Amino acid sequence: MNDVIKHSIRFIVLVLIQTLFLNQLELGWGIQLMVYPLFIALLPFEIATIPMLLLAFLMGISIDAISNTYGLHTSSLLLIAYMRPGVFKLFAPRDGYDNLKEGTSFHMGMRWFISVYGTLLFTHHFFFFIVEIFRFSDFLFILQKTVLSLPLSFLLSLLLQALFVSKPKER
Amino acid sequence: MRNLIAFFRRFRVFLVFALLQVIALSTYFSFLQYPRAQYLTSASNVSGAILKARFDLTKHFNLSKNNENLQRENVALRNRLPMSYIQLQNGLVKINDTLFNQQYEYIPATVINSTLTKRNNYFTLNVGYAQGVKRGMGVFSEKGIVGRVHNSSKHFAVVKSVLTENINIDVMVEKLGLFGLMKWDGRDPRFGNITGISNDLKLKKWLKVVTRGGSGIFPRGLTVGYIAKLKPVEGKPLWDVIIRYSEDYRTLQRVYVIKNLLSEEQQKLELAVPSDNDQQEE
Repeated sequence: MNDVIKHSIRFIVLVLIQTLFLNQLELGWGIQLMVYPLFIALLPFEIATIPMLLLAFLMGISIDAISNTYGLHTSSLLLIAYMRPGVFKLFAPRDGYDNLKEGTSFHMGMRWFISVYGTLLFTHHFFFFIVEIFRFSDFLFILQKTVLSLPLSFLLSLLLQALFVSKPKER
Repeated sequence: MRNLIAFFRRFRVFLVFALLQVIALSTYFSFLQYPRAQYLTSASNVSGAILKARFDLTKHFNLSKNNENLQRENVALRNRLPMSYIQLQNGLVKINDTLFNQQYEYIPATVINSTLTKRNNYFTLNVGYAQGVKRGMGVFSEKGIVGRVHNSSKHFAVVKSVLTENINIDVMVEKLGLFGLMKWDGRDPRFGNITGISNDLKLKKWLKVVTRGGSGIFPRGLTVGYIAKLKPVEGKPLWDVIIRYSEDYRTLQRVYVIKNLLSEEQQKLELAVPSDNDQQEE
């Protein structure tokens, strides 16, 4: 499948899942599920940072426009798009990245995925809740929201990935 | 030279990032005060249409409960119709009322999108200025108040709900007549706070809290909730009153937008009073 079409479909599907389904869920204890950072994490390895920032901006704005958050999702998504090259370099495999592969747990292994996607998702959630609440006296509540939402978002991302991203063929 | 180019390349990435980040954060923080760019909200045509499509799918989920509520309201209204009264005295005729003039009109609306877990939650309604909905109008449901209209387009409106930080609705404890401002602390969509009630006043649990009707947004006496808990504020002679909302915002669908026919008159009069608070907000 053509790469552009593949990533456009992921873009649309993730925006719709996030806005029409996940943003409507009310689980209590301040839990909020966010899976759209998966789009940024699964972009090709060789993509330059500026196009990625623009894509992140576009995706964030679409989510914000539908769910009335006015730039909150955009801001957090931009941050992790900016961090992605650094994080990828930090956890790079010994012989570098293979451009034919994708940043999924199937291609790169579960350990790599947990460290890279976990870092990005943690930054995203933490920054998101800090900006959303924006009050130092509620810092414990920010932590509570982050700590409770993060594992659930991560598991949901894994599930989505297992369902919708095609596994590499055995050679 | 190569180092210089490399430096600018890195710098360029950071510049783009900073620019986009500033756009995002400034829209976020300015939107909480005043809606400037309408195309970014769910009142815009594209996202309004998406949300409407979703609502068409999910609107039947709470149907029986909503029907029950509407039926209960119908019964209450029907009880007040002339045909449900028996005439005790002959010879009384109804004349054109000169004592009461209508002050409030109601526009029926449906909530097509709502969030509950955010710090500031906004609801989207399926009515807009084509139906006469304007910024600043109050919104309530059969069981309690919902919020104020923040922004409206032709066919949609965004409501700043009572689940936002700076909603500041004038409320009072019904029997005692104590005034306070209602706020929300961002934790639980079932509970709100009232500030500004002095702690030398005797309050009890389960007292009813209603709107005060001071600012002309809500008529006086709409139910808001019931006092659930009283806590003294540290270092101030005030109660921190926690109320349980009478409306469950998690299943909210049918609402009414309040149109105050006398609001211009009240605003004109109040603007003539010199004041240093937020009169210039609008």
